[in-house]
Amino acid sequence: MQLLKQGAEADIYVTEWHGKKAVSKVRSPKAYRHEALDSAVRRQRTVHEAHLMSAAKAAGVSTPFVHFVDPDNAEILMEFVQGKQAKDALDVKMCMQIGRYAALLHGANIIHGDLTTSNFIVNNRLVLLDFGLSYYSERMEDMAVDVRLIKEVFTSAHVGLRGAFPAFVRGYGSVAGKKKTSQILANVKEIEQRGRYARVE
Amino acid sequence: MLCLGIESTAHTFGCAVVDEKGRILSDARAVYRAPEGKGIHPREASRHHIEASHGVLKEALSQAGAGMKDIDLVGYSAGPGLGPCLRVGAVVARTVAGYHKKPLVPVNHALGHIELGAALTGASDPLVLLVSGGHTMILAFLEKRWRVFGETLDITIGQLLDQFGRAMGFASPCGGRIEKLASESSGQYLHLPYVVKGNDVSFSGMLTAAVKLASTSKMADVCYSLQETSFAMLAEAVERALSFTGKKEMMIVGGVSANKRLAQMLEMACERQASRFFACPIKYAGDNGAQIAWTAILDYKKTKKAVKIPDAFATQSWRLDTVDVAWR
Repeated sequence: MQLLKQGAEADIYVTEWHGKKAVSKVRSPKAYRHEALDSAVRRQRTVHEAHLMSAAKAAGVSTPFVHFVDPDNAEILMEFVQGKQAKDALDVKMCMQIGRYAALLHGANIIHGDLTTSNFIVNNRLVLLDFGLSYYSERMEDMAVDVRLIKEVFTSAHVGLRGAFPAFVRGYGSVAGKKKTSQILANVKEIEQRGRYARVE
Repeated sequence: MLCLGIESTAHTFGCAVVDEKGRILSDARAVYRAPEGKGIHPREASRHHIEASHGVLKEALSQAGAGMKDIDLVGYSAGPGLGPCLRVGAVVARTVAGYHKKPLVPVNHALGHIELGAALTGASDPLVLLVSGGHTMILAFLEKRWRVFGETLDITIGQLLDQFGRAMGFASPCGGRIEKLASESSGQYLHLPYVVKGNDVSFSGMLTAAVKLASTSKMADVCYSLQETSFAMLAEAVERALSFTGKKEMMIVGGVSANKRLAQMLEMACERQASRFFACPIKYAGDNGAQIAWTAILDYKKTKKAVKIPDAFATQSWRLDTVDVAWR
């Protein structure tokens, strides 16, 4: 197995699955975390990720195909997806597509939990990865936390790209509809104003 | 160029004299202590600052061997912080600058933590973890401002430690006592809610759970588990932000950076991401006037901008990511 990337969450290896190129995502232990906490976190995230990746696919979001899950070793074997991280190739059209994906997930009550531009791979389509922090919820608040996170990414890492968040909102609205989108945005604003030292309008 | 910096955002009233090379010529402070089991009472703290201000100012000047005639610039922390406390610093700053006809520069308190930390550690372009009673933020500099890559969604790490400690009847600030108790634990880990959302963290649920746990478990084990869980959340959020930004340096600043276990965990996270770890020296990790003086120098040298006395504001709400930084 060849190490492709040492991420913050897991190590990514290139391997094979029945003759096809595949990816092994291993959540290796983190030495700084207490062992009991660490193994609970790694196991839970592995199981959630595998399950919700498939659920997201059913909701119409492109995700890698899951081949095999080993909760004890916190390992997932999945389809290899060729392409760049959206982070390094972001444009306004892509932001809109990210918005569509977020709305599709939320429509199925899936909260991604880590909606950032490094978790999308671009080739001829956009593929969403990293469901380790994902969970099911019907709460508007949880969906708004997802949206606030990607907004935070747009206004920090991609501050140079004009119109990123508005494009995201357009994409989101095209799936979720006007009413739900404006409710979510109102909730996002509420969360921001709860932020420390924020000016409340 | 000599700058007098005045700090009064929360419990500390501090004055310091710093020169343009970043040498700290003096650092005088008086710290308000809340009664055991109680937090900072803004009115009582501001009263303390008023009474301490004269002595602290005098001490800062005499330690530096300077008189007001030698001072070229006055900086003061204009926020964010507790309104009544901020106003004391602002009044002292306006008075001194107005009477002695010195240029006056308002400084964002959080920026002060970062700039002094960078000057003392030599970090040039770090990912910053600012951890204190008022802040829990992960920041990186991009396009003229410090941008927030992650932060707490509710209370800060300092508040988690202090509010837990206060519920146990400890004296504020409680971080030191919790660290000591944690070191006496046998290493029995008790599960607490571990909440990381992207690069953001949330501590309010953990506070409730830890207070509840304390009624049935050994205090040392609860303190140990509280530290292990909350610090691991921060280390993970930092590691995620390092991986995302690709920064090769990481710096921790703020009062909570005095905690050795937190520094140890962050160092391990940095090692995994091949980043150099810098910690602000403990002596200057907490609030002090030198942070303000140094930041005022950086700002004034670059922009030559001072505020008129009537425009010298103090504001409780002033997020770091709204401040334009001209000198980086």
